[in-house]
Amino acid sequence: MCGISGIVHSENIGRNLFNSIRNLEYRGYDSCGMAMLNEGELDLRKNIGGIDEVNALENLDKMQGSIGIAHTRWATHGGVTKENSHPHLSYKQEFVIVHNGIISNYQELRERLISQDVVFESLTDTEVFVNLLEESYAELKDLERAFLAALQQIEGSYSIVMLSTHDPEHLYCVKKESPLLLGLGEGCNYVGSDLNAFLEYTRQAIVLDDGEYVVLGRDDYQIRNVQTGKIVEKAVMHIDWDVETSKKGGYSHYMLKEIFDEPQTVRQALKIPREQISGLAEMFTEASRAYLMGVGTTFYVANISQYFFSNLADRYYPALSSDEFSVVTVESGDLVLALSQSGETYDTKTALGYAKTSGAQTAAVVNVMGSAISMMVDQVIMQGSGPEICVVSTKAALAQTFIMLRVALELGLMREFLSQDVYKKHQQDLELFPEMIQQILNEQSGFVRNIARSTSHVEHWLFLGCGVYYPVAMESALKMKEVTYKHAEGMPAGFLKHGTLSMVEPTLHSLFFVPLLEQKVLHDRTLIAMEQVKTRGGTVIGIMFQGDERALAVCDQAVQLPQLSPLCAPLAQMIMAQMFSYYAALDLGRNIDKPRNLAKSVTVG
Amino acid sequence: MKAVILAANRSTRLSPFIETRCKPMIRIAGQYILENTICYLKEAGIHDIVLVVNHQQEMIRQYFGSGQTLGVNLEYVVQDELKGIGHALSLCRSSLEKKPFLLVYGDVMTDNNPFLSILQTYSETDREVALIALPESSKEFGNVYLDHEMKISRLVEKPQANQANYVFAGMFVLFPKIFELLAENQHDISRCYEQMIASSGLQACLWEQGWIDMIHPWHILDANRMLMSSWKTAEIDSTVKLLGHVHLEGAVRIGPNVKIESGTVLKGPCYIGANSYVGNNSLIRNYSAIGPDSIVGYGSELKNCVLFGNNDVGRLSFVGDSVLGENVKSGSGLTTVNHTVDYSRISCSSNSDTVETGLTKLGAFIGDSVSIGARHTLGPGSIVESGKIIADCITL
Repeated sequence: MCGISGIVHSENIGRNLFNSIRNLEYRGYDSCGMAMLNEGELDLRKNIGGIDEVNALENLDKMQGSIGIAHTRWATHGGVTKENSHPHLSYKQEFVIVHNGIISNYQELRERLISQDVVFESLTDTEVFVNLLEESYAELKDLERAFLAALQQIEGSYSIVMLSTHDPEHLYCVKKESPLLLGLGEGCNYVGSDLNAFLEYTRQAIVLDDGEYVVLGRDDYQIRNVQTGKIVEKAVMHIDWDVETSKKGGYSHYMLKEIFDEPQTVRQALKIPREQISGLAEMFTEASRAYLMGVGTTFYVANISQYFFSNLADRYYPALSSDEFSVVTVESGDLVLALSQSGETYDTKTALGYAKTSGAQTAAVVNVMGSAISMMVDQVIMQGSGPEICVVSTKAALAQTFIMLRVALELGLMREFLSQDVYKKHQQDLELFPEMIQQILNEQSGFVRNIARSTSHVEHWLFLGCGVYYPVAMESALKMKEVTYKHAEGMPAGFLKHGTLSMVEPTLHSLFFVPLLEQKVLHDRTLIAMEQVKTRGGTVIGIMFQGDERALAVCDQAVQLPQLSPLCAPLAQMIMAQMFSYYAALDLGRNIDKPRNLAKSVTVG
Repeated sequence: MKAVILAANRSTRLSPFIETRCKPMIRIAGQYILENTICYLKEAGIHDIVLVVNHQQEMIRQYFGSGQTLGVNLEYVVQDELKGIGHALSLCRSSLEKKPFLLVYGDVMTDNNPFLSILQTYSETDREVALIALPESSKEFGNVYLDHEMKISRLVEKPQANQANYVFAGMFVLFPKIFELLAENQHDISRCYEQMIASSGLQACLWEQGWIDMIHPWHILDANRMLMSSWKTAEIDSTVKLLGHVHLEGAVRIGPNVKIESGTVLKGPCYIGANSYVGNNSLIRNYSAIGPDSIVGYGSELKNCVLFGNNDVGRLSFVGDSVLGENVKSGSGLTTVNHTVDYSRISCSSNSDTVETGLTKLGAFIGDSVSIGARHTLGPGSIVESGKIIADCITL
């Protein structure tokens, strides 16, 4: 995944263009660069490192010009080197481009160009395209036609923005299977991989569809279809995301900021019209078989949803990891529901593609507007959680879980498994939840941090829970692994005695997600497992609810949450575990918002 | 921007050290708290500083003077009657030229420069800002509630319920309108903060690094440990004399003209101030801070302790988890017992008030100019008032 950005303006845009890739940094951060046209001369600066590091070396924000493109990279082809970073220049230095995606047939094109004495600076697929432009332009002497001619030769997925010395007034942009949006300002226009590229400057945006290209000037734009050349009329969206939400404010890390955003994201999830929720629930009633699908955190959200559907609607829908979706065969009449924060997740997109071609119905819960998955499914619920910048998902995962809870409730009512009264009671509990989260975040932070600090040295963790608390434990263990690089294993509490108990000794710490006392069966089962660990000298940490003296007596340390409804209890524990991972990582001095080896959304296979 | 540092307060809870000095003049790891604060301010580009003083102000004036040696301009405002923070601040009105300013509580210690963070938040939001921190227990402080934009939505002073919130960390960027609020609210600063929160809003700036508010004497040890933990390198003055075999490891810092005799082991982080002397075969363990002009006698062991300066620890002594005020002299064989036999939690008694420390290891707190004769044993958590003279413990 990479971030690209471009601006056409009448004034100097060095600073703005720099800010725009800085706002996209979470899409990739191993190298970056900018190219601008200044009085007819191309100025290209790029290097390896994070945005601020590169800026310190290259003074990107001091560049001059009123038209330019920029890129922040997450390497997929070719190593992390200055040569491989974007923008890429053509061999005659007349064209410069930024690209996100993969040109799959670049090897053969490269060989052909090399045989024609074109010299390549890098190993990237991108440089192939920029030299194709040079070649086409030499032949056609028309920029737009040359752009299209070069596009006809490439295969794969790409969003590209091109700047050329032959046209100092326009950027040429194209989108195919990688995201690209236009931002419309007054006397200036923007293009970017997502809204963060230009949210600071404009609220008017157009989402491009696959196979569309744009000639973007500062006062005008024309969107056409690559194949037919016909003009496409597009709706202009007004973005009501708060710019503040996109920024870190006083928080030292996006992760903590996004955790503190959670009351707000749940409020947003409550605002999703009931018709949309029941529309999705109806798809489940109509489907002969239904599957819940996600990968990474969203797979665990799917697992939690499994319990919601079972408990609230008496329906079992298997949760599948998108990358293992091929274990099932789907056919017409089936429903596949996908969960994805970015809406660009490669594995999920691929599995949905398979489901669609098999004739199944598809639906998705997605956070990013205009993303591939949101466009390809039959029904989509936009979760509206706002931009999530930290690579580790917190608020978006919580909002998805909450939305799935709403869908399960709606389905329970439709199937008459829940009475109107019970449904109403549950609905009231959900409405109280945002306020409750706010209180928990404020009043429990210190306790969670005390425990995290005193245990941050621990190398191995078991995260354990029963019933719906079991997938919560798995999701929380993933969070811990992602951000602290410590080993954490989530499993059902009842699983312990069937093998894992042999590992228990004082240095192995167990984090238990203790159900509410009123969930007696689950509570008793959890307590048995806690005692099993305790008796064998293991260290027991509990996330539990106030008034639970039995569980407290077994714990070495515990966080005690105020009483909550059974529906919201597991979600509240999920939030506490997010905080726990955050504070542990903080104590360990980890790179919290960008953990090593991870990218925000995995758009490659 | 100007800064106001509140340094007038006299809190009895810091006995036996507060009788002879104000809180910001407690010396930790060789540096006064106030000196540390002023250096951070200077690093953040703030050179004009108003100091509100009263209790033991001479000590401040004598050491800092006009601020010239530290490269800042100090203006002194005397708070004749100790009528709280709001009152102290209101006295600074005429010095602040109707511009936004930094308000700093003088008894707060951090292990890194918090002013850079708070000023950045101020410049990003253009709002009044409060630095907030997350202590182990928030009972003693003003507990804040944060909304999703990190604005403070509520303030609860010293809550009764068992909770652990973020708290005010004693540093603020405030606008001059605070003086009108103070006048309206009879100088009650908490009510002013509450009104700001309710009307224009107060932005929080999160401080996640080390932060300690000096309330009880054992917080001196916490602050000392926090500061020394941030030391990455050893620094030994070229005039230091290490005689014979002296073993050094870790971040050991030794000031000018220090003499250390053979057989002594120093395990960093630890600090020995200028002109001090350490006798043969002593063990100076980590987190020991020996103030300037001190003597540590032959065969003594020091660990996790702060000696303010001009101290004399007699031969064959053990000083652990303890604080010795300035000019404390002890005869040979002083032992500070630093835990109970069963490692139970230690309480500390002073001014007929007993406080649970929650700690299982704690030695003694000895006020300034105490003289202790030979062979004394001080129990865990004991407090010796300043000026006290304890005769030798002689069996025959």
